[in-house]
Amino acid sequence: MSAALSARPSVLRLVFRDVAAAAAASFLLLVVLAALFAPWLAPVDPYETDLMSVMTPPGGDYILGTDGQGRDMLSRLLFGLRMTLLMGVAALVVGGVIGVSIGLIAAHWRRLDGVLMRLMDVMLSFPAILFGLALAAIFGPGLVAVVIALSVATVPLMARIARSTALVVMAQDYIEAARATGMGSFRLIRRHLAPNCVAPLLVFATLRLGQVILLGSALSFLGLGAQAPTAELGAMAAQGRTFLFFAPHIAVIPSLAIFGIVLACNVLGDALRDALDPKLRP
Amino acid sequence: MLRHAAERIALALPVLLGVVLVGFLLMQVVPTDPAIVRAGPNATIDIVEAIRRDLGLDQPLHVQFGLYMWRLVQGDLGVSIINNVPVSQELGATIGPTLELMFAALIWSIPLGIGMGTLSAYLRGSWLDRLIMAISVGGVSVPVFFVGLLLIWFVGFQWQWLPFTGRQGPLWTLQGLRGVALPAITLGGVFIGPVARMTRTAVLEVLSADHVRTARAKGLTETAVVLHHALRNALIPVVTLIGLQIGFLLGGAVVTETVFSWPGVGRLAVGAITSSDFPMAQGTIIVLSGGFIIVNLIVDLLYGVLDPRVRGA
Repeated sequence: MSAALSARPSVLRLVFRDVAAAAAASFLLLVVLAALFAPWLAPVDPYETDLMSVMTPPGGDYILGTDGQGRDMLSRLLFGLRMTLLMGVAALVVGGVIGVSIGLIAAHWRRLDGVLMRLMDVMLSFPAILFGLALAAIFGPGLVAVVIALSVATVPLMARIARSTALVVMAQDYIEAARATGMGSFRLIRRHLAPNCVAPLLVFATLRLGQVILLGSALSFLGLGAQAPTAELGAMAAQGRTFLFFAPHIAVIPSLAIFGIVLACNVLGDALRDALDPKLRP
Repeated sequence: MLRHAAERIALALPVLLGVVLVGFLLMQVVPTDPAIVRAGPNATIDIVEAIRRDLGLDQPLHVQFGLYMWRLVQGDLGVSIINNVPVSQELGATIGPTLELMFAALIWSIPLGIGMGTLSAYLRGSWLDRLIMAISVGGVSVPVFFVGLLLIWFVGFQWQWLPFTGRQGPLWTLQGLRGVALPAITLGGVFIGPVARMTRTAVLEVLSADHVRTARAKGLTETAVVLHHALRNALIPVVTLIGLQIGFLLGGAVVTETVFSWPGVGRLAVGAITSSDFPMAQGTIIVLSGGFIIVNLIVDLLYGVLDPRVRGA
């Protein structure tokens, strides 16, 4: 992945010239590290209740206060980041792999193009939140239903971008050359087509990660995703809603975390896109 | 024009059928027997059997699907497992408030978003452009429930300016307007971002078009150029792009209704799914999806009317 970017050092330099994009990238890195090392960073068990100190505001023994059951908010936030990022990345990877495969197949075998892209159009015309509602109704509320819904909603978007990028690459001379050497279709796709489509897909994946996290945490907030004791940002915000008038920090902390992550993904994704596509540069 | 319309409708039909099929399958995985539910707690086995025959539950699956479609066409969506109320009756009571909320959200956010986007494009690169774009990025990044909870906490609870739970009355009364204010601000607020961004892109594109250069060359004032020649042509893509955002609006509406206990279809759907009320869940999903598909179709056709270039494509 980094090979595609480092081949064009100007791109990275362009991105980081933008202060906001650099800040967004650093913030995301921090969030990922916090999520990865949550078990070591968390002061206490995120599921341990302390009924003697319920709804304590931030800034005492508990740095970010406690929730309605007296659980440490900082520990829950760290584990919540973990769960929410896992949900987003899982949906992105599943939807991305399927979508990119469909896009590359459509670009390479032109006869399948019409059928596949029509199918993608139909899928694309359907809002993710409805996939979420339907899957939660069929499988019962839970993170599995949410991840499937978000993956399904990601497939057509990834397929479209992979296809349009691949079509440009397919017209290049080196593809013709590879074909002339008698290279088979699968090897051609794997060795030459796919690696050259990485950069635009990476930009889109950054933007999509934000959208997926926003959607997934909304579904969890509605009670269709992560269930009650699980530390997940959307579910935590939903719990905080009950105690809004007594202890607003319980809802505000996870909500702010979601806002921050999605904002960072959007700012970084926009900057990457502007850097890769000079036409859009202001 | 007719070909364009026919093609669009032909594309929408399989999607609609798919939605109905999902609804049907949902009723197949239900752990409860609809015949027993419909018969009530005191029914004898004979009565349950009679209802089963009556509902066609003893028939093979494809016949059942046909019967299901037939009942659907007649508006019979079954009965709630929880409170025995017909699903269609509950839906009838909630569709109005949902449309009301969407209307109240769009009526202020679309003009504001278009205004912000146009200003941003015209003053490209200025601090105002950057500010408007920053607000837009923030708007597409903020969770809908966060906006709602903040408004409830400050405007509703701390300052006690506006009510924040449920619908207070019809839109044309002061009570009703006060009641819809906070939900409409929440839902419209997250809609401004995408509208402003799309308008900016569209206006920027049109501002560099030949006919705008001609308008400038013949000495029109800048205001006339922007309002009559640029914005007017930019509105065509904006209309479709707003149409494409209907899914986004729908998602926002489901969350907004839940946060503000607004008695709409979205809240009904979420309640039905979390309480395993399968017939109700099925009905709400069919109505939400069907409504979405129909609105999408209308926007598509409208695009053909607005922009003659689309019709041939």
